[in-house]
Order: sequence, then structure tokens, then C-alpha cells
Amino acid sequence: MTGSTGGAWLLVARREVMVRVTDRSFLVGTLVTIAIIAGLIAVQAVFASRTETYTVAVPPAATAMAETVRDRATGIDEDVVVELLAVTGDAAGRAAVADESADAMLHQEGGTWVLTTKSQPEEALQAVVTGIVRDATVQANAAAAGVSVADLQRGSELRPELLEGDAQRAQLVTIVGFAFGFLFYMASILFGVALANSVLEEKQSRVVEIIASSIPVRHLLAGKVVGNTVLAVVQLALYVAVGLVGLAFTEFSGLVTGISGPVVWFVAFFLAGFVALACLWAVAGSLASRSEDLQSTTTPLTMLIMVVFFGGLLLEGTARTVGSFVPPLSAVLMPIRLLEHAAAWYEVVLALVLLLACAALTVLVGERIYRRSLLQSGGRVTLRQAWRAED
Amino acid sequence: MIRLRSVARSVAVMLETIDLTRRFGPVTAVDKVSISVRSGELTGFVGGNGAGKTTTMRMVMGVLGIHGGRVTWQGRDVTAADRRRFGYMPEERGLYPKQGVLDQLVYLGQLAGMSAVAARRSAAGLLDRFGLADRARDKVEKLSLGNQQRVQIIGAVLADPVAMVLDEPFSGLDPTAVDAMADLLREHTRRGVPVLFSSHQLDLVDRLCDRLVIMARGRVVAAGTVDELRAGFPPRHRLVVAGDAGWTRDVRGVHVVDVDGGTALVEAEDGDPGADGQVAASLQALLREAVRRDTVLEFGPVVPPLSELYREVAA
Repeated sequence: MTGSTGGAWLLVARREVMVRVTDRSFLVGTLVTIAIIAGLIAVQAVFASRTETYTVAVPPAATAMAETVRDRATGIDEDVVVELLAVTGDAAGRAAVADESADAMLHQEGGTWVLTTKSQPEEALQAVVTGIVRDATVQANAAAAGVSVADLQRGSELRPELLEGDAQRAQLVTIVGFAFGFLFYMASILFGVALANSVLEEKQSRVVEIIASSIPVRHLLAGKVVGNTVLAVVQLALYVAVGLVGLAFTEFSGLVTGISGPVVWFVAFFLAGFVALACLWAVAGSLASRSEDLQSTTTPLTMLIMVVFFGGLLLEGTARTVGSFVPPLSAVLMPIRLLEHAAAWYEVVLALVLLLACAALTVLVGERIYRRSLLQSGGRVTLRQAWRAED
Repeated sequence: MIRLRSVARSVAVMLETIDLTRRFGPVTAVDKVSISVRSGELTGFVGGNGAGKTTTMRMVMGVLGIHGGRVTWQGRDVTAADRRRFGYMPEERGLYPKQGVLDQLVYLGQLAGMSAVAARRSAAGLLDRFGLADRARDKVEKLSLGNQQRVQIIGAVLADPVAMVLDEPFSGLDPTAVDAMADLLREHTRRGVPVLFSSHQLDLVDRLCDRLVIMARGRVVAAGTVDELRAGFPPRHRLVVAGDAGWTRDVRGVHVVDVDGGTALVEAEDGDPGADGQVAASLQALLREAVRRDTVLEFGPVVPPLSELYREVAA
């Protein structure tokens, strides 16, 4: 036996974690979310790398050109594979296209190459064939005229230059930024409501009387906040890890290392932002007396989290820069700005310090209100009553 | 003997409230309440609804703020560390509905400062004793109310408390469980633990308690051993004769409380209650008159039940 209450918060935190991780709905929810993340990425990867095999009917006169097409098609567009179907003549070729034993027929009519398809043009195939036929024809014509193709093409290259970065990366930044906001929103609501509920459960079942007679209420609050924060961060880390590993298997794989840094920062901001809100969720739970009250006591927090989520998505320009320093908006906005390479390191540190300061403040204020409203039963307690109540 | 015992124990006041006061808005729920709970004694806390018992107990346990007065443990102001070693059973029962019985008891034991191993051993032993060993893995909400009550009691005694404060520990228990509970409390008082418990079941309080405290409207209206409380009332005697007892109304020095056929309930009028077991002179005169007039079937002191004393003081 020990006389001190020093480690009491640890006992409380451990119970919070144990109760949640042995809760079937929590486990199922986590696994389903991981499956959804992995599934989305897998679908993305499958769509992106889907190759199409085209069967092209080839009359004897077009064989040489068709073989060139077959050999070079995949080198031009990795999603296009061409197989050849030798036919006796144009009429047999049309018949093959009509009965769908071939997707297209490549043949020459009056000195012009023709790609015949059934009812709609096969665009990917057409693009590949067009290029190859043109190159082959130009080469043949050049040889006939006694000049080299290289001479003809000199100075004709077009080098693309992007003013606003890489479109693929910009697309990824948008997706990951949305993921930051959404994960923060989801985790805050899910764990926040669970925290408020468990505070209410203790208050409503009066088990809090027994706990409060054994350990300081401050320890109870600390344990609950720490326990839920650990759960939220571990769950988030799991989602992020699955997301990053999954991303490595998609066309964005080259960018994974580039976003890993901002993702780690996001986890840090998430941690601070979550703690800043966790105490307020506990307060929302302690102000209620029945689960019906919870709806009204948690509404301001739900609104706040919506603001953080939509703020991260919608704010532009100066408002975006300012917002990235304002807690708890900064929990989402600053990591996104970091992702966009739009924030310097000292800005990131400043935002994190402000967020931590905000967390410290809510812990202090929250502890006082929680302590004073927790043991008051009989109806919803207003913030003002709780703040002014005597211990 | 009885008197000797109570004198010997009166030196060992363990838990005490001194002028304890609590207001709720304009209402003073507990008004300068001073009670003392002695080592090894069961002290019954009696009073109507709203008398202030629960409020007092919550202040003793530190879960409700004190507006005046103090709570002392072994003569000095009680500390949080002291309270951690008190066993407490709140009025509205407190358990996690959705957690397993044993896990929950282990948690409560740990909060009270036990190691997990010791808490598990103690909880398992008590569950076995209350016939709940096979329910250890069940969630609390699956238990009947009576069984939840047993778990609650186990939670209060689990950590070998140095004092116990129990709010209505017997309510909702069947007679067998009441006996088991009483035995359990006696075990703890035998090793010197002071126990304060509230109850509406006056016969039970009468049977179990060494002392009782009666509260009404936020104040203590009576306190002491049951015998001491009875001593504060004029002793009554019952006379039963074969014929009609109406004549007793004419005997001087005797106040007739009630006559019903051959039965009369009387008090000595001269304010001389007589010593223990001794009957006042006016009552002796009454008895002589009865023997002269009629056949006496019964004459003896009437011990008023606690409920009657309670009604008198709490009125």
C-alpha cells in the first residue's frame, strides 16, 4: 500500500485506455477506418495503373507499320498494349472489328493511314498510333528527300515550364491537406464526445463520489485527458502510417518523402490541439447531468471544430496566414501551409508555442470548472454557476 | 456492564464533526452538526428525508465543500490522505455500469492505494463471500440491484478501510444479505474501525448500533447509546388485570397514558423515574392497589421501541 496519490492520474489514464481498447465498437471502428484508407488508396492505384490491351486487325499491306506500332506503343503510353490480329484484307478486317474480335483495324486507303473502330474512337490507342504513324511517315519522307529527321526537327522541341509548381504535387497537397483537416475533425469529435460521455457516466452513476473521496479531482481529469489523448494520437499515427505506406504504392510514391516532414509536424500540432480541446470536452461532460444535456453542452465545441475544419479548407490569402497562428485553427492550417512550403520554420515553431499556450490555458480553466461542476447533480450546470461555485 | 463498556469506549473518538455547516443557496441543509464516531462502534445515523444526513456524510468524505465547522480524524483536521483510507458508500450508488465487476473493484482498490495484486485478491475473496464469484467477469449493469449493492459494499471495504461512512448500506438488501452485511461490518468494528451508517430501517439500527445520531431539519436532535436515549424519557409501566383497569385513573401520583380493558399504560407523575430496575414509590402504591382490587396478570416496565423515541425527538 502507498499513501500517496501521486500516480493516481496514471491509474485513471490506464483505465481509460483499457476500457476503450477492449470496447468492440471502438476496435471495429478503427479497423474499418484503416480498411477504408487502404481501400481508397488501392482503388486509386488500380485506376491509375490500369493498362488497356487493344487488338488491332492488320491486313497484309499494313503489317510493317502495325509491328512498329506494337513495338513502340507501350513506350509512348504505358497504359496501352497493342496486339496484332493478321487478317486477309480490308473486308475481313472490318468484319473482325464489327464482331468485336478486334478493337480496331489499321490500314491504308489512298495514301492515308486509317484507324477503323466500331462505333467510337479509342482515344488512347488513336493518340499512340497517330504519333507513331507520323514519325514513321516523316522518317520515310525525309529519307526520300535526302535529309535526316534530326535536321528537320531541330529547334522544334517544346520545354514545359510551370509557374505554380508541379500540378501533381499541388494535387497531392490538396488531398493531404484535406486529410489533415478531416482527421483532426474526426478524432476531435469522436474522442471528444467519448471523453464528455465518460465524464458524464461517472457523474451520472455517482462513481465520481467514490473516486473524489479517494483521489484529487484534478488527477481524475488529468488521467482522462491523458488517456484519451494517447488513444487519439496512437489511432491517428496508425491511420497516417497506413496512408503513407499505401501512398508509396501509387503514382505519388516519389512524393512520400517530401510530405513526411509536414506529416510529423501535423502529428505534433494534432497532439497540442487535441489537448487544448480535451479539457473543454471534459468540462462539457461535467456541466451535463443527463445524456440529454450533453447535446447542448457540447454544441459550442462541435461548432469550434467545424470552424477549424472549414477554416483549413476555405481560408485564403492573408486570412489563411493569420489563421495558421490562431489556436486551435493553427492545429490544421499550419501543417497545411508547411505542406505548401508556405511557412518558414520559425512560423511553425511560433504557431506550435501559441497552441501549447492555449492548451495550458484551457487545462487551467477547464480544471477549475470541471472540479466545481462535477459534484453538482440536479440539472444542467451553467458555466457561470460552475465558475463561481464554491468547492 | 453496558455503561462500563460505553464509558471505556468514549475515550476513543476517531472521527468527529464539529459545528459542520452547509448551505444550498438560502437553505441551511446542515446546521452546526457535531457528531462523533468511536473506535469499534457502529453508529447509526437516522433522520427523515432531507434531514441532512447525506449532506453531512458527503462533507465528511470531502466530496462536498464545507461552509462552516470542521471534520477531524483522531483529533486533528482530516486530510485527503486520511479520507483515501476511509471506506465510502454514497447514497446514489456509484459504479461503472459497463465495466466488469472484478476489474472495477480492482480499480477502486488501486485508487484507494492498494497494489493491483492485493486489490484483486481482496476483491475475489469478498465476491466469493457474497456469492458473486461466478459473476466476477460480468458487467455491473447485468447484475440485479441487490447484487450491485453487494458489489458496492465490497468496493467500500475492499482496501481494509480505517473508517467507514456508509449511506443507506442496507437499503435494497434481502434479509440474508442484511445479515451478511451486518456480520461484515461487525468484523471491521471488532478490529477497532469506526463505522457511521445511515438508515431508515429503525429496527435494524436498534438491533445493530452501539450509538445513534438522530437528525431533523439539518440539526442533531438526539445522540447517544440507545439506552441513553431511552433514559431521557419517563419510564412507562404496563399493568394488566383480570377485570377492567379504569380505576387506575383515580390513583394519585400516577399519570395514565392509556387504558384498554384490563390493560393500563402508566407513568410515575412525581418525576421520580427511579433507578435502573427500580420502581417509583407511586407505582408501588399502584401495584398494591391492583392486588387489593383484582387479580394482577402482568406488571412491568415497557421498553419503547426506537421508532417511538424517534417520532418523539424528530417531531
